[in-house]
Amino acid sequence: MSSRVCKTCGGSDIDVDQARGSAVCTGCGSVLEDNIIVSEVQFVEGSGGVSSAVGQFVSADGPVKAPLLGSGFHTSVGKESRAQTLQGGKRQIQQLGSQLQLNQHCLDTAFNFFKMVVSKHLTRGRKTEHVIAACLYLVCRTEGTPHMLLDLSDLLQVNVYILGKTFLLLARELCINAPAIDPCLYIPRFAHLMEFGMKTHEVSMTALRLVQRMKRDWMHTGRRPSGLCGAALLVAARMHKFRRTVKDVISVVKVCQTTLRKRLTEFEDTPTSQLTIDEFMKVDLEQECDPPSFTAGQHKVKMQQLEHELARKLDEVEGEISCYKDEIETELEKSRPKLRGIYAAYAKEIDPDDVEVSSQASEPEVPEVEDADLQAAAQHLTQNFLCEVIQEEEGRGKKPDDGKQEAGSDTMEAGSDNMGAGPYRQAAPLAVILGKLPIAAGLSLQQTFQTFTESDQGEKPDDEQSESGELDLKDIDDQEIDKYILNDREVEVKTELWMKQNAEYLKEQKEKEERIKKEKEQGTYKEKPKKSKKKKEQIQALTAGEAIERMLEKKKISSKINYDVLRDLNSRGTGGVEGSSPSRETSDPPDTASTTRRRLNRRRRRKTSDANRELATTTSIMGKRVRLLLSSTSKKKKTDVQAENTVTMTTETSSEVTTKLEPDRSSAPSVPTTVVEEEEEEEEVEEECVSALQLVGDYGCEEEDVF
Amino acid sequence: MDSSNDEALDIIITNVVATFRTRCHLNLRTIALEGTNVIYKPEGGKVLMKLRKPRITASIWSSGKIICTGATSEDDAKRGARRLARILQKLGFKVRFSAFKVVNVLAVCSMPFAIQLIDFTKKNRPIASYEPELHPAATYRIKHIKATVQVFSTGSITVTGPNVQNVATAVEEIYPLLFEVQRPRCK
Repeated sequence: MSSRVCKTCGGSDIDVDQARGSAVCTGCGSVLEDNIIVSEVQFVEGSGGVSSAVGQFVSADGPVKAPLLGSGFHTSVGKESRAQTLQGGKRQIQQLGSQLQLNQHCLDTAFNFFKMVVSKHLTRGRKTEHVIAACLYLVCRTEGTPHMLLDLSDLLQVNVYILGKTFLLLARELCINAPAIDPCLYIPRFAHLMEFGMKTHEVSMTALRLVQRMKRDWMHTGRRPSGLCGAALLVAARMHKFRRTVKDVISVVKVCQTTLRKRLTEFEDTPTSQLTIDEFMKVDLEQECDPPSFTAGQHKVKMQQLEHELARKLDEVEGEISCYKDEIETELEKSRPKLRGIYAAYAKEIDPDDVEVSSQASEPEVPEVEDADLQAAAQHLTQNFLCEVIQEEEGRGKKPDDGKQEAGSDTMEAGSDNMGAGPYRQAAPLAVILGKLPIAAGLSLQQTFQTFTESDQGEKPDDEQSESGELDLKDIDDQEIDKYILNDREVEVKTELWMKQNAEYLKEQKEKEERIKKEKEQGTYKEKPKKSKKKKEQIQALTAGEAIERMLEKKKISSKINYDVLRDLNSRGTGGVEGSSPSRETSDPPDTASTTRRRLNRRRRRKTSDANRELATTTSIMGKRVRLLLSSTSKKKKTDVQAENTVTMTTETSSEVTTKLEPDRSSAPSVPTTVVEEEEEEEEVEEECVSALQLVGDYGCEEEDVF
Repeated sequence: MDSSNDEALDIIITNVVATFRTRCHLNLRTIALEGTNVIYKPEGGKVLMKLRKPRITASIWSSGKIICTGATSEDDAKRGARRLARILQKLGFKVRFSAFKVVNVLAVCSMPFAIQLIDFTKKNRPIASYEPELHPAATYRIKHIKATVQVFSTGSITVTGPNVQNVATAVEEIYPLLFEVQRPRCK
């Protein structure tokens, strides 16, 4: 209220009384205003003496139901759309969330996220399903529930990476930092699914310890947490004497066999795997391991380096090696029976050949073969220290190394026994070679990097020199370019081949063109010719029927409806259709106009009898919808419908249809169309049954027999 | 290349993507029938042509827009693009080489140490994101130079950016962050 000046006396001291609703000048006493609009809460006495406040509660984002005056029309439309979006979103959240068994608090949080997303216009261009799933997953992550993105994608039948993309985007835009996934969260959930009975808790505890151990051994970075959980649970189950196969575990955990086996192998490589069950439960090893991929990478690099060095050295000392070869052969012949298992096979093949093999082109097997050779040679020349060094470095690698160590230790003893004075001198240079190798292997990676950078830099100046400033032709060799273009003969051959290969596609294109030509002549050429044909049929039908037809057509386009299944379901009729939402998605499209007309005629008759039955069944969507319709049309034609048998219903059905359509159209747009469509689907389902009934010419009991 | 550290970090450029226009309509069928090393893709409406000398693959559309991928340096990409234009010229189209632009550069680099991804993500919260369910690497997006770095736990990183200079800057920027969260080598 602006303090105004009194007109009579000019005084600015004005007293405003809210209760009376008047403004009075205190100077001269003249009343300036009467009946001021008051913004106070008023109370009314209701029945029984209860006093309640006057007015309506209008929420900021709720649906605006209060009818506005004509001037406010635009704003109401805009708000209604937003409100509808939010409502629809809320519904979907509730649906999806209940399938995931999330509590109400989580669902509310998810709805809040959704509201934020909508206000930031991030739903544009994205399927609402995806956005909702992402909101729900955000909630799961912030609350720490054991739900995986995979679960959501299972429910929605959407690729998990697509959902992941949406989720990442939303998290970034809403600045929500979801805490990292801890595999420990999933253990109780998976353990429960694997049915350990009374011992579920113990097995979970063991599995938890295993997972924590895996974390310390750096097996969990970059890996899906479910894979680790699967491996841990499998081991824990075995530890507690439950027979769970890999297949059981993978069906629960949703990873593939290969992954599980790989995790198990990696875990086997850690020193923890060597402990017994009791030891494991009590002791926690201090040392930690490198992550398996890192180790594998290092191993590879080291092998390559060893190879390089060996290749170089071997070229230099080839002569000496032939002597060693003989030496080695004799020694190995003596010690052969001591090598175990696979290594026996290895040893036989290795000795004469691998010296030459090692200097050849690198293969992944060659480094391992070389190692065996190195070890054999080193052992025979009793350079224990060197052997140990080499073994240590390779012992970090994969499984076969463990085997090698065992074989190595055996042959070492043999070698030391067979040591003679002669080989010592010759051994010395080899020992020198071997002595250098560990150092080479121990070279920091930077050296390799440096060689790479040098080679790179060497190439670059050449490239720059050949770069020319001109737009075309300077360094482009025309002759070479000509090679890229086929000559005439080749073109013919290729044309033939290409035509043959793409014959189908070319045929399709031709047919399409012809079709377009025809339609152009007919004057009915449209962008999508198929649909136009259908619309011609509608024109032939009755006016009301045409409207329904159009809606039927629209429904037909939906890809979520499996019409074939619906036809099969017809024998079961509405029982199957009512049951659940998937079954509801079946509908029989009209094949020709005539059948649709007949269908329309029978519609009314069918409807009420079916409706009666449906009213009896509970919680059926169809039932509710039909009930809705029924309530709106019951007053009008119910009595008439029941009596009739013949096709003379046509006029009545058409009038009923129109009357039915009108009240539907008057209310909010979306609901009745779906209702009508539901009804249509339902009636189409009863098609076959209707015809049978018509033959019999009776209602009620006959229908129930059929169903 | 990386002067701010003691050891030289090796940044290897593995892919350069560039686009250019020929400013004339191209008949894909002619190209498909008369060129060697071409694949016609009717569903995509394009022709793939593979060159040998700068090893690149080009997607050619009938509107005259061409995308070259597979080059190992920006200059290579330009040369390859020019070669391609020359080939099309010889096939009879009135080609003009215009609007050449390098769109994307992909490089890999390997750190001499392993990285703790979870700590890395925690420290660089909104900029870095790590979803082990989706991808084994943590993604770090540097907005001001428009580069994306994917960090793997083994210490290798892949950097994508609009040009080679940005990529180098990105590596320099991220190195100290990675150094902080490196995993001490055991044994």
